[in-house]
Parts: sequence; C-alpha cells; structure tokens
Amino acid sequence: MKRIFALLFCSLLLVLTACGGPEKKPAEPQKKPEKAEAQQTLNLFSWADNFDPEVLADFEKKFNCKINYDVFANNEELLAKIQAGGARYDVIQPSDYMVTTMLKLNLLEEMDMSKIPNAKNLIQDLQAPAYDPTGKHSVVYTWGITGIAYNKKFVKTPPTSWNDLWNPAYKGRVVLLNDVREVISFAMKKNGYPLNSVKEDHLAKCMKDLRALSPNILAYDTDTIKQKFIAEEAWIGTMWSGDAYFSFKENKNIGFIVPKEGTGIWADCFAIPKGAKNKKLAEEFINYLYDPKVSAKNYEYIGYNDPNIKAAPYHSDEYKNDPILKTARDYIGNSEWTEDVGDAIALYDRCWTELKTGK
Amino acid sequence: MKNGKLLIAPSMLWLGFFFVIPMLIVVAVSFAARTPYGQVVFEWNLNNYIRFLEPLYLSIFAQTLLVALVTTVVTILMGYPLAYYIAQLPKRWQQPGLILCMIPFWINFLIRSYAWVIILRAQGVLNTFFMKMGFIDQPLQLLYNEGAVMLGMIYSLLPFMILPIYVSIEQLDRRLLEAASDLGAPPFTAFRKITLPLTMPGVAAGTILVFISSLGMFVVPDVMGGAKSALVGNLIQNQFLSARDWPFGSALSIVLAALSLLLIILYYRAIQAQNGGAENAKNLA
Repeated sequence: MKRIFALLFCSLLLVLTACGGPEKKPAEPQKKPEKAEAQQTLNLFSWADNFDPEVLADFEKKFNCKINYDVFANNEELLAKIQAGGARYDVIQPSDYMVTTMLKLNLLEEMDMSKIPNAKNLIQDLQAPAYDPTGKHSVVYTWGITGIAYNKKFVKTPPTSWNDLWNPAYKGRVVLLNDVREVISFAMKKNGYPLNSVKEDHLAKCMKDLRALSPNILAYDTDTIKQKFIAEEAWIGTMWSGDAYFSFKENKNIGFIVPKEGTGIWADCFAIPKGAKNKKLAEEFINYLYDPKVSAKNYEYIGYNDPNIKAAPYHSDEYKNDPILKTARDYIGNSEWTEDVGDAIALYDRCWTELKTGK
Repeated sequence: MKNGKLLIAPSMLWLGFFFVIPMLIVVAVSFAARTPYGQVVFEWNLNNYIRFLEPLYLSIFAQTLLVALVTTVVTILMGYPLAYYIAQLPKRWQQPGLILCMIPFWINFLIRSYAWVIILRAQGVLNTFFMKMGFIDQPLQLLYNEGAVMLGMIYSLLPFMILPIYVSIEQLDRRLLEAASDLGAPPFTAFRKITLPLTMPGVAAGTILVFISSLGMFVVPDVMGGAKSALVGNLIQNQFLSARDWPFGSALSIVLAALSLLLIILYYRAIQAQNGGAENAKNLA
C-alpha cells in the first residue's frame, strides 16, 4: 500500500520533471554534435523511489540517453511482465529468490562483467550469492537483513534472541512481517534449522512455536509496520533493516538487533532480461551506479546500506555512524539468503493459511 | 429498434472484452495446473476444486459467510431507520441527507481505512481523548481484533444499504398508509403490513450489494484486523501474490462467484414470494 502512494508520488514527480525538462534539453544537441546517432533510451523497470533522481539525470547527461523508469509493486508483477514479453526492458531489479526463478525460466541475459568493472567493489559476502551462484546474471543493488526492532521505553532489556518474542510480558504487542517466508524463516532460525528448510518435521515444529506465539501478536504488517513502531503501538517485532533505519529517524526510542541465532538477508539486484534491446547501455548504467562517488550520493538518498566498499570515503559521518545501518553491516556474515523453495511453496502457503485461521 | 442496438453496442463490446473474456480465462485457469515456478499449464483437472473441499478452506468460507451475514444484518438494522428518516424529511432536506451519506465515497476507501487506524490506535484520537478526560489510564485495544474488522465492514458498506432502501421508501404510495389508518390500523401495524413488504425490494437490493461486497473484502481484515485472520478475499489474494498458485486462486474465485449467484437467486425467490403477499395487501387495501 505504501508503494501505491509511492507510485502516485512518482508519477507526479515524473510529470513535474517532464515539465521542467524542455528548458535544459534544447541546449544539449548543440553541445555534442559529434554524437550523430539518435539518442538512446534505457528502459528501466524497478521498485518505486529506488534511485536518487539526480543520479539518473547525471547518467542521462553523461551518456546522452534517456531513462524510461517504470515501476512495479512486487516481484510477481515483474515476473508476469517479463514473461509476457510485451514490454521490453533493458534493466530490471528482481529480488534474490526471483533471480533464481528467472534463471530457471531462462529469462535473464548473462552480463559481460568486463563491462561492469565496478561490480568488483561489492562487499565480498554479496558477490556470487546462493541465489545466483555464478554471479553472472545479477548484481546486488540494495540489501538488508531482518532483525528485531523494539521500543526501549517498553522493552527494558534489549532482546538478543528470537526467543524473546515469546516473552509473555509482550502480550498483544508483537508485530510480525506479513509475509509467509519471513515468519517461517525466523521460526526456523529460532530452532537452529536452515532458513530455507522444507523438511516436514522442521515446518511442524515451527508451526507449533508460531501457534504458541499468537497471544503475543498485535498484527501482521509489512506496508505500514513503520507506523506501528513509530506510533508506539508495537513494542517489539520483526523488521527489515531499511525500515528500521527510517523508523529510528522518526522515533529515537527504537532499537534494532540481530538475534544471536542468525537471520535472513535479502537483496534487490540488477539484472538484464533476455532480449534486452540495449544491453551495452544497460551494462554502462549498472557500472555507473557502482562508481564510488555516484553510489555514495545515491545510497545516502535512498537510505539503504551501500554495498560498495570503495564508496566509504565519500559518505557523510552521519550515514557511516548510523547505528541501524551499522548493525546490518556487522551481521551480514551471520545471515542466510532466502532461496526459492520451489514446490514447497505450497507447504508454506498451507502453514500460513493454518496460522491465520488459528487451526 | 436498430438504433437501439447501435446505442448499446459500445457497452456490449465493453462487457464482452472486459468482463466475459476475463471471466472465461479465470474459469479455464481454475481447471489447469501449475509448475513449481508458478506457470499455468493447461493440463485439465479438478484438483483445485477438490482441494477447496478440505476442512481448512471450508472453514475460511464459513467464517467469511458469517462475517458477511453479520455485516448485512447490522447494516439493515442501521440503514433502514436512517433511510426511513431521510425519506420522511421535507423534500428540500432529502437531497442533502443523501449527499451526507455519500460523502465518504469521495475519499478513497483505503485512505478511509487508515483514517480509522489513526482514530482507533493506542495513541489515536479516541484513546487520547479518553485518557485526557481521565476515563481510562491505559489505552484500550480497539484495533486489530474481530470487532475492528466488523466495524470497518459495516462502516464501509452501510451506504450501499441506505441508498436502495431510501429509493423504495421514497416511491411508496402514501395513500396506502392513509387508507390503512382510515381502516383503523395502528401506525406499527400499517408499517409492518404495508411499508415493510412494499419496501422489501429495496432491502433485497441493499442486501445483495452489501453481502456480495463483504464476501470479497480483503483490505479491511488486513488494515483494521492486523491481517490476523483470513477471509476468502485474503486467501485468494495470497494465491496470486505469494503462493504463485493462480489455478487454485481462480478456482476459489469461481466458487465464490457461484456461491454469490446461488444466494442471489435464492434471495430473489424468497423476496418474490414475499412480494406476492405485498401485492395481495395492496389489492385488499
């Protein structure tokens, strides 16, 4: 739902920038007469609000092209559009497990990594991740981990383990992400099982634990979970590091930890779909965004952890010392990727339905 | 007559393209299978409908029907007196009265749901007021429970009940009531024997609008109910957005649509029988 607003806002922005555009543009063709070929277009398909608009504008200027930025609201929508093939895009941003799915469906182009030298600047843990073992079809763009957010006013001892969510003192005060994979993942981790386990006995134990957790649950929420923490309706719960970063800015009582049992990590990546018309420009674009100076500017704007090691000198102290971004950086090695569970998604869905019906 | 056909051609084409064809696709998909990666493969089978018969899914349907039933009954009990009141007002006040009922539609439904969250939450308008007045010293938990879901449903669907009932009361021939009064019927008897039966078509229309709408509702349980319970609408949404099981989602939609249709038919039959009675009353009067 947040994304609907973001989308509306984006289209408004697009209209505004479109209105502002013509004043600058006529000057450019005269400046670069040597580029006789027609202006290229980069068709970008991504989440709303995922880039600093200035960074996009700089790229357009530098490479004499036009970026056509379309947005999707979830991975399934992205998959459906790419499968339909009707709209051709040059750069897309699937999440981790969706990269696997698209690879299996043969929808992704292999990237020429020699054209994206800046991708080597990525944190080691983010290179060749489990969902794309060769690392040739995707590059991590934004990433984050799931941890426990809590309000220091009500939760006096900082939580250290997933078990702390079960504390009876938090009756009716726990908020969980409204997502089957997220909920089952932390139950798996609590029990020391692999994050992506599809074993029936593991799932059964998780379900037993989660049913026992239900008196503590205030709500399941993904889109407006930040508001629940900021307005102090929720005392403690699972949250993505990116959302925790924003919540902390609004309410300084909010803390964020990574449980000792470990957690899940996710990433939205760059990828090039099969049949992209402008693969070369797409690679230039991806490379450009990992330029240390560019990425510093871009990530400060979007508020996610910069995966680019070389960008550190260009980041502000405020960004570097942010406690929540730091927590996420420190625990990156302690986390597992969410992988596509294939056929077992049906088992997961059944557990989810049972959980919601109290069966 | 030829001109008439030309006039309805655009709407027929519209319905054909955007209603009938998509509906047929949904029917087809509901008999298909899926691959682990969510692709629909047309290997015809009944598995999706058989799966629906599992107690887990039947219980969600039962729960949804119950919520829809309660919503409908409460909106009738609240909507009828209000519609009656508006219809009784002097002509120049009726229009503003109706507009007041419709004003909420000027604002997007999703935004109105969040408005309720702001009113009802722990630090919300209502709790802050009660705390300041000293009625309570701990915020009341007004949200994320079944009561909040019911409130949201009734709130959002009440206008659909009021409007058709208003129309039927407004069209009521007042001379019938005068006749009843002349013949010695006390006001309540006249209401029960004449007004109520003759305004039943309005109640029926309202009931169908409210009942069908509440069967498919999924925003209210998510936003005001904290997504803690699943109604059929949420179940269908999950099949499409997270479980990647379009065939099962389609089958659930078809079952829901068939069920709605069945209930409408039964309801109209019952009303027609009632109306027969009303016609008799009219003839007698």
